[in-house]
Amino acid sequence: MTIRVVLADDAVLIRTAIGALLRQYDFHIVAEAGDRRSLWEAIVATEPDVAIVDVRMPPNNRLDGLEAALEIRSAYPGIGTLVLSQYLESRYLTTLLGENARGVGYLLKERVSGANTFVDALNRVAAGGCAIDPEVVSLMLASRRRDDPLHRLTAREREVLALMAEGRSNQAIAQRLRLTPKTVESHISSIFLGLDLPPEPDNHRRVLAVLAYLRHPTDREQSQ
Amino acid sequence: MISVATIGSCKHDGSVIGRTVLASRAIVIVTAGCGVLLAAAVLPFKAQAVDHTLGETIFGGTAGVLFLGAGVVAHLRRPDNNVGLLMVLVGLGWFAEDLQFTRLPVTYTAGAMLYAASGGFIAHLVVAFPDGRLSTRGQRWLVGAAYATAFGLSPLQVVFVDPLFYDQEHPPNLLLVWPGHPMEEVFVSVLGVIGAVLSAAVVVVLARRWLSASGPRRRVLAPVLLTSLIGGLGLMIHSALEYTDLSPHIWMLVYRVSFCVLPLAFLAGLLRVRLGRAGVAALLVELQRPLSASDLRDRLATALGDQSLQIGYWRPGAGRLVDAQGLALDPPSPDSGRVVTNVDREGRRVAGLIHDAAVCEDEHVLRAVTAAAGLTLDNQRLTAEIRAQLGEVHASRARIVAAVTEERRRVERDLHDGVQQGLVAAAIGVRAVAQRLGPSGDEEIRTLLRVCGEGIDTALADLRALARGLHPAILSEDGLVAALTALIERTPVAVELDVTPVPRLPAPIESTAYLVVAEALTNTMKHAGAGYVWVSVAHQDRCLRVEVRDDGAGGADPNGSGLLGLADRVRALDGELVIRSEPAQGTTVTASLPWSGV
Repeated sequence: MTIRVVLADDAVLIRTAIGALLRQYDFHIVAEAGDRRSLWEAIVATEPDVAIVDVRMPPNNRLDGLEAALEIRSAYPGIGTLVLSQYLESRYLTTLLGENARGVGYLLKERVSGANTFVDALNRVAAGGCAIDPEVVSLMLASRRRDDPLHRLTAREREVLALMAEGRSNQAIAQRLRLTPKTVESHISSIFLGLDLPPEPDNHRRVLAVLAYLRHPTDREQSQ
Repeated sequence: MISVATIGSCKHDGSVIGRTVLASRAIVIVTAGCGVLLAAAVLPFKAQAVDHTLGETIFGGTAGVLFLGAGVVAHLRRPDNNVGLLMVLVGLGWFAEDLQFTRLPVTYTAGAMLYAASGGFIAHLVVAFPDGRLSTRGQRWLVGAAYATAFGLSPLQVVFVDPLFYDQEHPPNLLLVWPGHPMEEVFVSVLGVIGAVLSAAVVVVLARRWLSASGPRRRVLAPVLLTSLIGGLGLMIHSALEYTDLSPHIWMLVYRVSFCVLPLAFLAGLLRVRLGRAGVAALLVELQRPLSASDLRDRLATALGDQSLQIGYWRPGAGRLVDAQGLALDPPSPDSGRVVTNVDREGRRVAGLIHDAAVCEDEHVLRAVTAAAGLTLDNQRLTAEIRAQLGEVHASRARIVAAVTEERRRVERDLHDGVQQGLVAAAIGVRAVAQRLGPSGDEEIRTLLRVCGEGIDTALADLRALARGLHPAILSEDGLVAALTALIERTPVAVELDVTPVPRLPAPIESTAYLVVAEALTNTMKHAGAGYVWVSVAHQDRCLRVEVRDDGAGGADPNGSGLLGLADRVRALDGELVIRSEPAQGTTVTASLPWSGV
């Protein structure tokens, strides 16, 4: 079944390029929008499977896309939202995810040119999964304090952790790292044990837990 | 009440009735001379008159002569002011009244007619004091009525008076028509009433003038009013007590003495000589010491007797006066009763004194004061000028920082909206072509496309880093704390961030604070070899304070690196950048930026 997509970006150039790319992969672009209001109208009119939304859009050209994505997520939980941004900030990731990691993605816009990665992320989000840009994840993993428990994890465990943070399922992780699902599961339990986190069977909550943990030190310092 | 020349300075509005100063001087002196001759002629007769004591004669003579003398002095000192002439006329009229004591029928009759002559002149003098002019129509009507009564109505009484009734040897009244007519009483009563009404009107005019007068003006009017008040009271009490046993004579003495003092009071009010000169002497002593702007103003105000004095410093560039803070001072409008006196030094305009027009009366004092104060005013003018210039420099520096911040933000935006989008589209395009080519296509082409795509990716990554270094978008969108959080996230060193709630601040301040932290962190990573960095952001007492502290090697050169450029930026925003770096004690960079809100 072809996946129905609404594409929202104020740059016609980008819409054209992404549109052409997606059509090659048999996605169906049901509507395009150049600003927040027409995006909303398109969603209401077509109720697609997934919406691709650029963070910066008219009318304010600040975080309109992000705010629109939040609106869509709360009003239409069934529609996946993949947010594209020209620059990544972990702060916006937290805002976007909110309470659940269902049917949501946050990618660097450049990622679109690596067609396979992009298409894979889009498929995951359309199916109700989660796709976080690896660069944001590695950013959060990298900034660590000296006494951080993450240092206690093995390299392999950190790889698994990163993929978990990107929102991938055990299957996807196993495939990626060329491991058996069982091995992946045992890595995951030891990770949660090592980080002193309660185990989360649910995929979506798992992502949240991991991301929350990774952002934890900075969150703690912010008294916002 | 003085109508000064329209350019608002101390010019005397020549109100002499068209004659030259010399001619008017001659007239006044001649008139006074006639008065003296007249006095010499009539006083002996007055002394011999039956119902006049010697005391009364002396009083009358003294008062009249004082009016003549004071009037001459007043006119010589103030030739353009009619007060002198009026005082002489009062003296003349005063002695004309005494003609009724002479023995010749003609002179006696003339004297009988002129018995109220001085009254008209006194009314004119009092109402016109101290400018010598009648400025409103009401005043002119009042004085006109007084003259009409004194020279028109009162003389008519002569037709009723028969001196021979009381004294057979008295010279006859040549104009006697109806001796003992009952109309006489009526006439006298009417005259009395008119006199009382006119006197009351004059008092009202004086009262209103006093109430609406400024400080210096009141000082001019005070001697006359005081003397008149005392004299008037004395006369009233005397009349009240006249038919009792309570020794009314002392009050008559009070009245007479005040009346003699009156011409001197007029003179004092007009000239204000002694008071002014003493003030200048004191001022000269005080100018030896250094004085602040407000002290100088107070001293000058005291010397000139005008507490409403304002000092304006001349700014040649702007062509106007400014106050001690460098703010513009408007010249007084023509009908505000205030004028400007310019203070010049060596041909240059230095300052302007804005004061009550009444001060112009004492030209000598005004000139002495301005000359004495000239040097001090010149110094203060320079200070005021420098302050004004500094103010402008300050404002322009702040504008430059704001412009630079905005520029950087704009460039980041342009990069984002233009270049980056284009590159992303190009990358997509290249990959799409590679895709189209398929696995069976030309190996070389595929390699070329791959390299092309990687090149574009690299360019995009570089652009992102550049834009972030220029002006991170998150700074505009979410403020300083969010931007610093994101910055620290990307810093390889362990950084602890300590914040108190900070409101959104104007872009130049947020941008400068961000850049200070960014630069300090860069330095820490490059040189210090620190293991631990601590960044704090606080907003307290209307001041934003960011501090970056590390436990590294220390010994940083405060004049090196990008921190020097940032120090200028911080100072342009009225802030302060402090770098403390002792060897082996780590480095602390602190920036404080004041922000008063709104």
